Amino acid sequence: MQKRKIDPLLLIGLIIIAGSLFLAVFGNSLAPFDPQEPVGDFSMPPSADHWFGTDGSGLDVFSRVLAAPRVDVAIAVTAAIVSAVLGTGIGLYAGYFTGRFSEIVMRISDILQSFPVFILAMVLVTLTGRNVVNLIFVLAFLYTPIFVRLTRSEVLTQRTRTYVEAARATGNSEFQIATRHVLRNSLAPSLVQLSVTVGFGILLTAGLSFVGAGVRPPTPEWGIMIASGAPNIILNEWWTSIFPGIAISVTVFGYAAAGNAIERWARK
Amino acid sequence: MRRYVLRRLAVGVLQALGITIAVFFVIRALPADPVSRIVGMNPTPESIKQARHALGIDMSLFQQLLTFLGFHGDGVFTGSLGKSWVSGATVLSEIAITLPTTIQLIVTSFIVALAIAIPIGMATARRPGGKLDKGVFGYGLFAGAQPEFWWGLIFIFVFYFKMGIAPAPLGMLDPELTAPDAVTNFVLIDSLIAGDFTAFKSALGHLVLPVLTLSFLLVGPLLKMTQQSMSRVLSSEFILYQQASGLEKKSIGRSTLRSALAPIITLTGILFGFMLSGAVLVESVFSLNGLGQYSVAAVLNLDFPAVQGVILVISVISLFVYLGLDLLLAKIDPRILVK
Amino acid sequence: MTDLTPLLSTRNLTVKYPYGDVQNVVIDELNLDLYPGQIVGLLGESGSGKSSLALALMGLARHPGVVSGEVNFRGQDLLKMDDEELRQIRGNSIGLITQKPRQALDPLVNVGTQISRVYRAHSQASKAEAQIRAVELLRSVGINDAERRVSAYPHELSGGMAQRALISMALSVEPDLLIADEPTSGLDVTIQAQFLDRMWERARDANIAVLIVTQDVGIVANYCDRIVIMEDGKIIEDRTTVEFFANPHTDYGKKLILSSGTGDKTSNADVAIITSPEILRVTDLRKTFEVDGGKRLQAVSNASFQIHKGRSLGLVGESGSGKTTVGRLILRLADPDSGEVWFKGERIDSISPKEFRKYRSKIQAVFQDPFDSLNPRWPIERVIREPLDLHTQLSKEEKSARVKELVSLVGLTDDILPLRPGSLSAGQQQRVSLARALATEPEFLILDEPTSALPPAARADMIRLLKSLQERLDLCFIFISHDLSTVRELCHDIAVMYLSEIVEMGTSEQVFSAPSHPYTRALLDSVLFHDPNNRRVDRKVKTELEGEIPSPVDLPDGCYLAARCPIAEQRCRDDHQELIQIAPSRSVRCWKSVEASQ
Repeated sequence: MQKRKIDPLLLIGLIIIAGSLFLAVFGNSLAPFDPQEPVGDFSMPPSADHWFGTDGSGLDVFSRVLAAPRVDVAIAVTAAIVSAVLGTGIGLYAGYFTGRFSEIVMRISDILQSFPVFILAMVLVTLTGRNVVNLIFVLAFLYTPIFVRLTRSEVLTQRTRTYVEAARATGNSEFQIATRHVLRNSLAPSLVQLSVTVGFGILLTAGLSFVGAGVRPPTPEWGIMIASGAPNIILNEWWTSIFPGIAISVTVFGYAAAGNAIERWARK
Repeated sequence: MRRYVLRRLAVGVLQALGITIAVFFVIRALPADPVSRIVGMNPTPESIKQARHALGIDMSLFQQLLTFLGFHGDGVFTGSLGKSWVSGATVLSEIAITLPTTIQLIVTSFIVALAIAIPIGMATARRPGGKLDKGVFGYGLFAGAQPEFWWGLIFIFVFYFKMGIAPAPLGMLDPELTAPDAVTNFVLIDSLIAGDFTAFKSALGHLVLPVLTLSFLLVGPLLKMTQQSMSRVLSSEFILYQQASGLEKKSIGRSTLRSALAPIITLTGILFGFMLSGAVLVESVFSLNGLGQYSVAAVLNLDFPAVQGVILVISVISLFVYLGLDLLLAKIDPRILVK
Repeated sequence: MTDLTPLLSTRNLTVKYPYGDVQNVVIDELNLDLYPGQIVGLLGESGSGKSSLALALMGLARHPGVVSGEVNFRGQDLLKMDDEELRQIRGNSIGLITQKPRQALDPLVNVGTQISRVYRAHSQASKAEAQIRAVELLRSVGINDAERRVSAYPHELSGGMAQRALISMALSVEPDLLIADEPTSGLDVTIQAQFLDRMWERARDANIAVLIVTQDVGIVANYCDRIVIMEDGKIIEDRTTVEFFANPHTDYGKKLILSSGTGDKTSNADVAIITSPEILRVTDLRKTFEVDGGKRLQAVSNASFQIHKGRSLGLVGESGSGKTTVGRLILRLADPDSGEVWFKGERIDSISPKEFRKYRSKIQAVFQDPFDSLNPRWPIERVIREPLDLHTQLSKEEKSARVKELVSLVGLTDDILPLRPGSLSAGQQQRVSLARALATEPEFLILDEPTSALPPAARADMIRLLKSLQERLDLCFIFISHDLSTVRELCHDIAVMYLSEIVEMGTSEQVFSAPSHPYTRALLDSVLFHDPNNRRVDRKVKTELEGEIPSPVDLPDGCYLAARCPIAEQRCRDDHQELIQIAPSRSVRCWKSVEASQ
């Protein structure tokens, strides 16, 4: 038996993902200061008391960075899972049972695809109300077509393979073939995309909040934090924007790395 | 070929219109109320009614749609996108001022990104598994995970604040300079037309950091695609056959390039569409006053005509870009026309 | 082989594929001499390095391979030449024919331009002159309206046309050495024979040395003077063909000889009077498909036959014959346009899919592609158990026992049960499919080219397995194939199909020993026996068909074979031929054959 070398990228990715999920649940309680209450002097650089310094409103940056996953990661993960489940289901049906429904699904998916995503996200969030739940809905809505496309495409390919015909010849009903045979073999692209989508979700949430179309302050959220620090960066107040950015960068990279590792494993 | 173009154009126009109408209904269906901005706190029923009439939303949805499209006066079909509820100026004029800035930014970024990605991607394809190959892979993964607005800030901090070699992130020109006469609204072009080289250099300088930020991001996927595509073509049967037939290296090189380009072109198209709305963030960081920033303000202010106008314009531009790229693709790869 | 100085000779030839720091050695210090005018067959399993060797003889390797050592062509080392010298030799003194012709052409450039480029690379011809040569070349391989076709793109040509064009191009410069890498893979049997004949004649006439890379022992036996066998990047046998077949030295060589099968006929193959009950009856089955452009493709027309318990029918034909479609119609994987299918006295062609599912446990199938027939994510145990889950009420233990029973029935061992199909060889995969098909003790099987996609050794094993099972279990089946000799071994009766029609029927012995229809004769003549003393190229009288196999679209009014038949007359072109019985259970669709039999 060969010793399987663990893919270092997968390891890094999984560690980061685990960390982000951990913070999403416990970050708020682990924060040394209340993330939403001013606790010190304004705009203080990093020190022994405040590891990441304080921002322009006197909030402790470190605490906010720790507490933010509760919003950023939770939104992204929830939206990604919802859209994956929904999208895969619709994609399987549309791909396997071609007909009018399948056509309609594809048209809608195409149209959604050609919307300017960021602007549409802004519009939907602003107009439904800027809160966490709506953000999840909007993101899930925007990301479902991706999964529909991916799954449908894979299902269409699998449908032409001999094992499907063999399954028919063995005596399976169409429904049995779709669920027992085809689905299992069409999941790979969606699985890869799931991890990547979480990353997209975090970037979109942060981006929306950055321009003021996402969550409302003073909710701790990485994008808002970067925005609050942006005007002051040329006054040398770098810590307010840099640390949340590092957090985003590392977290999204973790999800992307995991996704990439899954893709390479699935392709073997 | 011509039929293909016409068909695509027709479909595209319908699509753009369809999208706008869809958005038209969606934004009116959602709970947010644009009137509340105008009437302030404790509005009287009178003032609400007045405000609603002023904005034209007291009509039925269907009537509003017809007005928008131009059946009751100026509308889309007559070339008007309505008036902004915030500024009162025509949406078209406001877009005409802001759009060129965004296009300058995006086009320049793509040119830079492609100029970097394609040569490097090709070089790495020749040596699979080598150090450059791994570097490319790592970069691609990394760049795709970055929040570009944050990197914009970092570049400002490093190159402007710490090193002083980049201009301040305040729009397209140095504050003391006057803008050249607006002919095309493309600052770079207008300044050249006016012979104003100071303005030209200033504008170019102000573009450096934003373009750096966007290209930094774009190079990732483009590099990866170039490498993959090139690798695929190099290992292909027909390139091997050309070598076996004794064709000249130059000729084989040209064949290789031509085959490798197709997926890169497709990807560029997809990224371009994505960037049209994604450039918002970079524009905000650098205060470039482009279409992205305009659209943010429009959305936050619940300025429906502006929002509709922006979406329509972006959809139409995307349409033309995709069509253009697809035509380029069809010229290179005749198999596309078969479908 | 009159000339004893080698034309091409390699010393310590090595081909490596680098990936980062790792080097994958594909050809390992190989020495080989090729002589002028000699035709050599290069055999080996996939992974043996034979394809890489073919390329390395030109100093080439697939990207990113690296060739090292010496390749001396006419005394000069190719690997030490500069680019310009090499370029002049490749495509000129040494020619290459690759396996998949359409992939050898640049998909983005039209065919004429590509052909003329090759001409201009090796001559002083101008663009206009080269273009004319291109048109001539296309015409010479039987492509009509060549002026128009010359601006076609590769995807607009059929595979056969593309292959012919490429071969013509390679042969037209009269190289000293022609390297052909599996040149006939994917080609129909009769077309393959045509192609190889032509290549052999040209080579003999112009004293061209040829290296044919192949897995087909029959090709080597019939066309090659010498055989070289490779394994793991090294040559393990290098003999003249006659010597090799008389006395192979290596184990692998011996396996290859045995893989020709016993050639024994099936027992009772000449018994024409049948007494067992009827299992399957097909009457006037018809199926057409619509294709792009609104045309109708006639897949099956008026197919009729019966199969009795304990007997097997071979359905033989090439592309477009309809043989596979017949199988699919019976299995209801496609629905017939008209006609009847009766199973043990019950009609099954027009009942609903749900109704038909009840018959599935009684009528089973094995398909052509070994890997594709199995769900890649299911362990073998589940694959074989599936029919039991669907059709029986057995307990878990009973099913498990039955699965083990089936596994040993097909000659495999229990340790494959937890594995996934990907871990099995093609031969094993196909046995698993067979085990699955036999799970519910079906009364009738459809075997759709189950051996065509297997390498020679596995193919022989499979045939032997089927033979033994046929006797043990008294199996009743249809065996669909393009290979007459395999069918002879396994089937009592044969129906030969051409372009949707059955053109000849009889017991396999009758058809084999005295083929009647011209198509059957041509098909039989195209069989490449594994006997260098009975070569096709040595036979004086051969039934040869002209041209390509047409697509069954826009079929003519008269006999479908008339355009290609060597004995066709006006009456053949005018009258549509009917299937006429000339003896008990013997019928032919050709008025000339009918007359000849009286």
